[in-house]
Amino acid sequence: MLNIIFYFQVHQPYRLKHFNVLDIAQGSDMFDDQLNGQVMRKVSQKCYLPTNKLLLELIKKHEGRFKISYSITGTAIEQFKRYSPETLDSFKALVDTGCVEIIGETYYHSLSFLYDSNEFLDQVMMHRDLMKQEFGYDTVSFRNTELIYQDRLSDLVFEIEGFKTILTEGVDRILQWRSPLYAYKNYTKDINLLLKYYQLSDDIAFRFSNRDWPEYPLTVDKFVNWIDHLTLSEHKGRNQFLNLFMDYETFGEHQWAESGIFDFMAHFPTEILKRENLGFAHPKDTSDLANYQQESISFPDAVSWADEQRDLSAWLENDMQHNAIETLYEMFNRIKSKGDPKLLKTARLLSTSDHFYYMCAKYFQDGDVHKYFSPYDSPDQAYIYYINALAALEERL
Amino acid sequence: MKILMFTWEFPPLISGGLGMACYGMIKALLAQGIKIDLVLPTKEFVYFPMRQVEDVDTLPVVFVDAEKQKSYVYNTFNTVEERLEFIGISQQPESYFQLADIRRDSIALKKEYWLSETVNMEERELWQEMTANLIGEEDLIRKVQEYTLRAEKLAKSLEYDLIHAHDWLCYPAGMLARKIGGKPLIVHIHATEFDRAGGPGDERIHKIEHAGMTVADKVIAVSQYTAQMIMSRYRIDTAKIKIVHNAFSVPDDAVIAKQRIFKGPVILFLGRITLQKGPDYFLEMSQRVLATHPEARFIMAGTGDMSRKLLRRSASLKLRNRFLFTGFLNRKQVERILQAADIYVLPSVSEPFGISPLEAMAFGITSIISKQSGVAEVVHHAFKIDFWDTDLWVETINHLIENPQNCVKMGIDGMHEVNRIQWDEAAEKIRQLYSVTLAEYIRKVGA
Repeated sequence: MLNIIFYFQVHQPYRLKHFNVLDIAQGSDMFDDQLNGQVMRKVSQKCYLPTNKLLLELIKKHEGRFKISYSITGTAIEQFKRYSPETLDSFKALVDTGCVEIIGETYYHSLSFLYDSNEFLDQVMMHRDLMKQEFGYDTVSFRNTELIYQDRLSDLVFEIEGFKTILTEGVDRILQWRSPLYAYKNYTKDINLLLKYYQLSDDIAFRFSNRDWPEYPLTVDKFVNWIDHLTLSEHKGRNQFLNLFMDYETFGEHQWAESGIFDFMAHFPTEILKRENLGFAHPKDTSDLANYQQESISFPDAVSWADEQRDLSAWLENDMQHNAIETLYEMFNRIKSKGDPKLLKTARLLSTSDHFYYMCAKYFQDGDVHKYFSPYDSPDQAYIYYINALAALEERL
Repeated sequence: MKILMFTWEFPPLISGGLGMACYGMIKALLAQGIKIDLVLPTKEFVYFPMRQVEDVDTLPVVFVDAEKQKSYVYNTFNTVEERLEFIGISQQPESYFQLADIRRDSIALKKEYWLSETVNMEERELWQEMTANLIGEEDLIRKVQEYTLRAEKLAKSLEYDLIHAHDWLCYPAGMLARKIGGKPLIVHIHATEFDRAGGPGDERIHKIEHAGMTVADKVIAVSQYTAQMIMSRYRIDTAKIKIVHNAFSVPDDAVIAKQRIFKGPVILFLGRITLQKGPDYFLEMSQRVLATHPEARFIMAGTGDMSRKLLRRSASLKLRNRFLFTGFLNRKQVERILQAADIYVLPSVSEPFGISPLEAMAFGITSIISKQSGVAEVVHHAFKIDFWDTDLWVETINHLIENPQNCVKMGIDGMHEVNRIQWDEAAEKIRQLYSVTLAEYIRKVGA
């Protein structure tokens, strides 16, 4: 049996204003409420609302056999409430079907794991509480910001009662001869690892509407046949996991409705469920489904799902990114000891990884992706506004 | 007396000290009864007839094209910005006339004036030297071509006693006007290519500068420092050179009072971020001062060709959120940043004058200025240090941070001093030079 784990990342950051040195004096708000509201309303209209509606229909139609999973960041939930409450309601309706797993992560979609373990644990607990509060859901699976993973992450996550499984990227340099189609254990064998099958995930997420791609157009038949072929490697009745992980904004935002992405999704589960050897599962089912001795796998260096390198270079490569993030984390303890919740909240909103992503100065293909997502003219601008924001925060200490 | 004046900058069309200097100078000249027709690199072909002191702010305008002038006169503008927009100028440097508007054939500068029989050999050579060097496809060079062609039309149609051209961008226009109108030319040196480039620079520009100064009847240098440069590098006849130091008058609506943005001491660099101004020295001293005084903030205000390089370097030096960039600032924003600063530094490699330190001092900010600057000749209540002597810069800044009373006292003394350096005095020197030049010219022509 091959179990498809469809997991979607739902995230929106609080983008900074074009925040200048002179703005520091005003004590004014540093986040661009207008832009953030605009983006949230736009993405809700183009992606969240129509996709949620479609998936809800599919879940009902397939009577429990179609399963999907989400991680929804705290910054996204907050902004749903402010700018698009109907979107939050539609997620709640999905969770109520019982066919949706909610996955844990850091509340602020931050890189705190790499810089401040205490802050990381705080943010994970905040997110867990939020999921309980909003959806009545107890999270048991975890994925770190942008699938960033390294051995030490499993140690930290293991400290938190209840997490059994972590999702990350199926990076070739780590897997080597191994297949991402099996469930693994972390290096201490305490936690399950599910690894993204990036070829097929990216066929949907990145290549779906690319007319230069030899496989264009991607039809449901073609895609299901590829998946079916994967089961040829199955032996001794071992259950396989096909981990299709992607940004939720793939649907209707990165791949426009005109590309046919919604039609594709409308028919995909039906075709999968016609075949006896294919099905859908949740990450929380991993232990039950893994009917074999799971091999442990070690990630000595950090990986992620970003860019071609699948490492940390999207956020932490150039000097601007390093100076910015180090400045932030050096301030965290001082901010915490000050005991002003408003300042701490601001610092945490500034910990969202997107701020560092905007400062990425890599060119070629990846640079284009960064540019697409950035609200600023250049990485330098993003850096200037961010450093000014940190200066403003420090002045308020 | 009426002057046909060419300059590349005038508020709000401004990117540096030249615009500020022209503003103060023209205002003071108008007060002394001089009339000025001002020509700027505006998008639309216009000139600004200035007759009274208020005109420097209201910018009365005449369109050379009669139809345009009609539509301008009948147009009602709700705001000053709308009117400036119509003329084609705004506060951004990009508002210089756009490349797309420049006629393709403008390279053919009117050579007939210069190749005619009446022109002597020497003049012809100079003109050829200049036209030969005005050929290029760069935006700037083509803008100068266009500007020079406008001068031809204006020189014919306007009435004036004397031509006054500021810096090399306007020398070709000044030279052409002199030839056409048969009136004397004064060129005004605010900076030479050696200053701007912080090294030899563009040879074409040297040639244009040389031609302009040689053709001119008089040359005004903004400092002794610049006069030296003109004599040694361009070999201009010393008898032609007159030194007129710049001044600075605080705008009437400026608010001088301190208004802190940061709790810690603020050290300010304000100017174009380009080699000439020594921004890399500023970064180096910042790094070293911050090692002793991490509570200080260093602010780099302005833009320029080295902005990106400096930004990246400041990040690599891990200066945290202690080294900040403002980007482009308009006049009001400049005032705001000056209200928030404690120490002003100008580590220029070569600064013909440097109005910006006067402005900073007028705001009561203690200033440290490069010895390689003209402004060092006129102020006493400021620290003067060789641009390369980073040890001493660092020591001085540390001293001022550690002795805030000294810092405040120096700032106040500097403020009083600068308030005495008024444009009236400089304008009086210029007015006298106009008279002398005109008298000499008439004598020469009459003879």
